[in-house]
Amino acid sequence: MNINKQEPITDIDPQNRSNQQSLDINWDIQSATHLLKRTVTGPNLEEVNALINNGMETSIQGLLADQELPSPPGAWVDEELPDWSSLSSDERQAIIQTYYSRMRTFQKWWANRIMNGGINITEVMTLFWHSYFASAYSKVFYPQAMYQQNNIFRTFCMGNFKNLLRQVTFGPAMMIWLDISGSKKQAPNENFARELMELFTLGVDNYSQSDVVAASHAFTGYVTNGVETNYDFDTMEGWGYWWTDWHDFDDKTFMGQTGPWTGDDIINMILDRDECALHICKKLYKWFLYDHVDLDFIDGMADVLRSNNYEIKPALEYLFSSEHFYDPTFYGANVQNPVQLYLGTIKRLKMEEQPFDTDYFTEIQNHLDMILFEPPDVNGWLGYRAWINSNTLPLRKAMLCALINHESPFGSFGNYLNIPSVAQSLVNDNDDRYHIIQIIDNLVLLFLGIEINETLSEQLLNIALDGAEPYDWNINLPAYNAQWSRFEDLLMYIIRLPEFQLS
Amino acid sequence: MKRRDFIKSSLALYALGSYLPTALLGSKNRFSYRNSNIDSDRIVILIKMNGGNDGLNTLIPFQNSSYYQERPAIAIPSEQSLPITDTLALHPALENWQRFFEQQRLAIIQGVGYDNGNLSHFRSSDIWDTGSNEDIELTTGWLGRLLELEYPGFPDNAPEHPLAIQYNSANLLEFKTETSNTGLYLYDPNTMYSIISGNYIDNLNSNIPETYGGDELAFVRELDHMSFNYSQIISEAAQNAPNTIMNYPNTNIGQQFKITAQLIAGGLSTPFYRLYQNGYDTHVEQLYSHELLLSDLSDAINVFFNEMDALELLDRIIIITTSEFGRRVYENASEGTDHGTSAPVFVFGSGLNGGIFGDDPDLTSLDNNGNLHVQFDYRQIYTTIMKNWLGLNANAIDQIFSDNFQTIPFLDDTLHSQPKTGPNGFSLNGIYPNPFNSSSMISYTLPKNQRVIIRLFDMTGRVLKVTRLGKQKAGSHLFKLDGKGLSSGNYIAQVEIEGSSLTQKISLIK
Repeated sequence: MNINKQEPITDIDPQNRSNQQSLDINWDIQSATHLLKRTVTGPNLEEVNALINNGMETSIQGLLADQELPSPPGAWVDEELPDWSSLSSDERQAIIQTYYSRMRTFQKWWANRIMNGGINITEVMTLFWHSYFASAYSKVFYPQAMYQQNNIFRTFCMGNFKNLLRQVTFGPAMMIWLDISGSKKQAPNENFARELMELFTLGVDNYSQSDVVAASHAFTGYVTNGVETNYDFDTMEGWGYWWTDWHDFDDKTFMGQTGPWTGDDIINMILDRDECALHICKKLYKWFLYDHVDLDFIDGMADVLRSNNYEIKPALEYLFSSEHFYDPTFYGANVQNPVQLYLGTIKRLKMEEQPFDTDYFTEIQNHLDMILFEPPDVNGWLGYRAWINSNTLPLRKAMLCALINHESPFGSFGNYLNIPSVAQSLVNDNDDRYHIIQIIDNLVLLFLGIEINETLSEQLLNIALDGAEPYDWNINLPAYNAQWSRFEDLLMYIIRLPEFQLS
Repeated sequence: MKRRDFIKSSLALYALGSYLPTALLGSKNRFSYRNSNIDSDRIVILIKMNGGNDGLNTLIPFQNSSYYQERPAIAIPSEQSLPITDTLALHPALENWQRFFEQQRLAIIQGVGYDNGNLSHFRSSDIWDTGSNEDIELTTGWLGRLLELEYPGFPDNAPEHPLAIQYNSANLLEFKTETSNTGLYLYDPNTMYSIISGNYIDNLNSNIPETYGGDELAFVRELDHMSFNYSQIISEAAQNAPNTIMNYPNTNIGQQFKITAQLIAGGLSTPFYRLYQNGYDTHVEQLYSHELLLSDLSDAINVFFNEMDALELLDRIIIITTSEFGRRVYENASEGTDHGTSAPVFVFGSGLNGGIFGDDPDLTSLDNNGNLHVQFDYRQIYTTIMKNWLGLNANAIDQIFSDNFQTIPFLDDTLHSQPKTGPNGFSLNGIYPNPFNSSSMISYTLPKNQRVIIRLFDMTGRVLKVTRLGKQKAGSHLFKLDGKGLSSGNYIAQVEIEGSSLTQKISLIK
């Protein structure tokens, strides 16, 4: 497999490479489902079959194909700032309320993108970068700024990391979120300088406090009003009196190099460090494969990222076409993040076309500890076991069962579930076995992270049949037939199993 | 709906007394085997001031001109601050704390941190949670290790009541053991039980594959099962609490204290609570936000204190604030402060030695980054709690931290097992190791030549072993106690001389 068409990889040991690559991967329903579960949200049977038919190489190309940008959630994304000083306090409050409702619209807009993204990684990568450069609306305040940032993530999600980093850094959201805006040479704010190195590029032990101080001096003189910034991407400088008066033009010594560094200089020097590619690859690995990183594998992946000049797509390709990725030990090793868990379930229940029940959408984000545009802090969502505790686990079950029984601890939710169509979507072509047997197989494949044993398998069948025989069960029975309430019970039972939390 | 109705009615039954939770009242050992390191019903409440509390604006060196010079925009004016000593004053929002200080119910330990302070929130929080040095990364929490010593094999031997309750949803390091987490996340106890039980599927005991996926499945199952068990106990304790619950502030931290009060008053024997208050990362315009935070915290502690006092529970409780670091001495251009190193720790309780421990911060002698020097290692606080509050012996503490840390006298050493002394200088100096596996050494001192008999009892008082040593010379002796033939559990060792005997509890772990 050609890892990158533009720039052939030169510095990978060819033996090691062939070892990592696809030759030995058995491309079957298990490996195809594994890849889909990790790269898209709520894959269904149709999508799994498409992957098997297309073969691995074509499938990965399709997953990583660049997509056209969607049209924005509203005209407000380009709206200019109000003149706050001329407004009465009531008028200000009204605008703040408008902003809040725009953010709710924006959340739904994104959720719809995530559910309807097809067999493509773009939306999951956008979510990945949202957690990577975690910025929260509660501080950033301007929906326009949050949209700009989200758009940057989507635009650059598989592009060049350096471009992405610059776009994010000098966008209004990050400038507000980590206090770049307004930082002056007399007493620079260290917030961004530290997180730039610790969380965005190098990792905690790869810089010193004097590097933080030097970088904080370089990142002075940049400001934003919440929608625009005084940074010019072409000249790589700021403008206006903020730049001339507040930027520190003196020499700074950063990582042993002395000069009149600007923010861009700091970014360039950081990206020259080997640790940076390692740091990015670790985070990608954790997001897509497992919480505990295989360092040997990461070394190879980071080599690919470096030799491709920080182009992200070749590194992803390397990961998804490696034998390592398809080791069955990783099946079910991902504790699903809440957004993908519930949006994926909505999709598999074929409810993705329906408008969101607003209350449901708000409650589930709040209670499962993952609110879009409101990560807990700049470290983003920790993921994996941090998703699961004595609060979230029962709610992950209850709030998803609510899609079926319309009840939850927070009230009833009214979306319509066409239960026969769910079952119909789980029947194979050219399969002579009883419908219910096929359906249970496919439910296990798609909804549960780990294969189950005979006992549990029988238990699932018993719930679906409730004393009837497998041949009594028929996907063409009308919706009022008692079979379908047993099928609802079966779905809820599956949602309540620990295996359901994993992918 | 039916299921929830059923749950409601069954909870009502509990409250009426058909299942009166006698189990709630102190029978800690009923379910499981437990080591004997902690031997008290004492409770530790830890509050994380998340983000790095600005120590200098909390405990203000109000006579120090450097303080005002370094912080022209954000220094608290001396006439507004609340003096507690000649040189130190509390933030104006902390009137309650000023009163506690006068009542000897507040101890303040100055300059707490660790060497080579790390200025990353995440790393520094990990250090405080794990009890490590700056350059060592541990994967278990200091309290996780402590609780695993108490309950070897946790969660297999999980006790009846949760070992620790945390009010933060992240899977935190502090209570983590090698394989599990002894901390239970808690929110509203009343809804917790109904949601958990309504969605719980009894474990089918199917095999868990030996893969990474299997590891994660085991984790989810275990948490599922434990939450189910504990949710019932917690809901009972909350129902069991007296109706005199006071009016807690309707803030996040206020509600955490309210639930804590209910559970303690309702008889939950959980020894550790970890509360959280977010927002202390005050890089920008900190005056207003910091005041709000301190005032919320102060109000919440005040109500909790009053309630525990009224219920005569206060002497079982100690409250300790922690924060990943303090803040820089000088302010930044955004009228805030950047990450610092050491800061004061505040300890509240009725059974402590109030006052200031350590020197006032020296604002002129700073480290290379312009930060305050550390006076006390944070593990000195932990060690003081473990030794003097919980009565852990030195052996146990040795297993929790890699180094020895001196205690700080904000608590007296009342529980810790002193050498036991009988008449005429006869003493039982200790039994090491305890808990033990194959054998343990009993150390005792005889005032004169005399006959010695060593006995081992089980916890019901049955004699299991008798060794008659005959006449031994005056001075110190060691006797090797063999664990052969004994099963895991607690025992009493007794050293008898003519007319006098001394005993100590020991534990055997097989």
